[in-house]
Amino acid sequence: MSTRISRAFATAIAALLLAAPLTAHHEILAKFDNTKPTSLTGVVTLVDWRNPHAHVFVNVRDAKGQFANWAVELESPIDLQYSGWNRDSVRAGDNIRVDGIAARDGSRQVWGNTVVIVATGRRILNVEARVPPAPLTPRPAPRWPDKQPRLGSVPGGAEGYWASPSRTVLVENDADIPMTTYGLLRNVADAPKVAPMQAWALQRYTERQQRSLRDDPQFLHCKPPGGPRQFQLPYGVQFVEDRERQRVFVLIGSGNNNFRIIYTDGRSHQGQVGGDDDNPLYYGRSVARWEGEAFVVDTRGFNEDFWFTNGGLPHTEQLRLVERFTRTDFDTMRYEVTVEDAGAYTRPWKSSSTLRWVADEAMPRHLCQDNRP
Amino acid sequence: MRSLMVLTVLIGSLAAAPVAAQEGHPLKGSWLGTMAGNTVHNPDVVLVLDWDGKAITGMINPGTDNIAIRNATLNPQGWVVHFEADAKDAKGQAVTYVFDGRIENLHVPNRGIVGTWKSQRGNGDFKASRQ
Repeated sequence: MSTRISRAFATAIAALLLAAPLTAHHEILAKFDNTKPTSLTGVVTLVDWRNPHAHVFVNVRDAKGQFANWAVELESPIDLQYSGWNRDSVRAGDNIRVDGIAARDGSRQVWGNTVVIVATGRRILNVEARVPPAPLTPRPAPRWPDKQPRLGSVPGGAEGYWASPSRTVLVENDADIPMTTYGLLRNVADAPKVAPMQAWALQRYTERQQRSLRDDPQFLHCKPPGGPRQFQLPYGVQFVEDRERQRVFVLIGSGNNNFRIIYTDGRSHQGQVGGDDDNPLYYGRSVARWEGEAFVVDTRGFNEDFWFTNGGLPHTEQLRLVERFTRTDFDTMRYEVTVEDAGAYTRPWKSSSTLRWVADEAMPRHLCQDNRP
Repeated sequence: MRSLMVLTVLIGSLAAAPVAAQEGHPLKGSWLGTMAGNTVHNPDVVLVLDWDGKAITGMINPGTDNIAIRNATLNPQGWVVHFEADAKDAKGQAVTYVFDGRIENLHVPNRGIVGTWKSQRGNGDFKASRQ
């Protein structure tokens, strides 16, 4: 009996250790294989403290006594710093033990689930998921003098931004379909339940899933997170309302610190005339109006060069998004989106989530351009 | 000699031209292909395909031969491609081409179509890669 319990316990621990991390900027299993647990012990030769992921390079002696240099990939410097680590937490010359999972391509790379200083047994560079604490008493949403809700910070008040989405995937009617933070289905047979896809789109989505999302253009080429994906990533968004110029800027913490413009001046779907007025864009062209408490944004004119949600649901240039933002209280933003794309889906469909206000902090600066695939 | 150098540089730059990413319908885009053994039309073809949500439309050699395609289908099970095109030869005689193939390397932007072509005047291998 005790053997059975300890086996079950060990299995549970192993499953936890092998689970994908919570805070990476893309699906870790796209690059690493959780069926290939790997342990390394060796001397650190370099600490590469850069976005989107920090790397520690280690000289490891193989069975023949030869040294080989391995790259240990870790969370982003932003997440590591939130957890109290910095570029000096491990130094060249330190002897460390790494337990992780190996790269799918057979290269000398591992995802570091745990890193331990051999001399002291101290675990380092581990990251805890950050969830801003819920206020004990809901605070009312801040408002402009005309009583319209503010989408962002109050001038003169504390800094803040929106993050910690309640859902990091897009699923029709918020159905509960088991998948990872980055939309990798636990059971690929669930693919038809995710959204009402046309046959080609379902097959393309299924094959992306079967390839563990490794073709994600954000992962491969740092393509911007257009569409609902901008609200699904870990480093949040910030709304800057420019009432004088009748537009709202959405500053996007993930990706490459892009921004999106939402026009509130009554124009049709038109961008900057003479600039982006007729070419398809990663963030499309957005116009908006207020409907009571909801800021309703209508966006068209997307290109097809990116994935508009975690998990790789396909879209075409016919994509139209109607997004409703409702600040239900100071700390909560409800996000509802209707997806219309007659090129990829059989009918319009909806999904929703909430974002949490991260108070008294500036939005992190995360740049993807230094990606090391 | 100088013109040869210019040609070499030009060919090199064309070969290095990046392929536009395309994460939507896998047939949409411009393709450069070869109809091996075609003696009626130039075997090197440009194929421009589009998807409106219901039908695949397109043109072979737009701007030169302007051969519209018809009956285009894509079966996602195996990514099997079929399309036909009605053309005319130099004497104005009708030539109907039928293409059958499948998409290869779907997940990369410069994916390919590999298969066969046939007409009343011949048949052969067909291949194209997305530009």
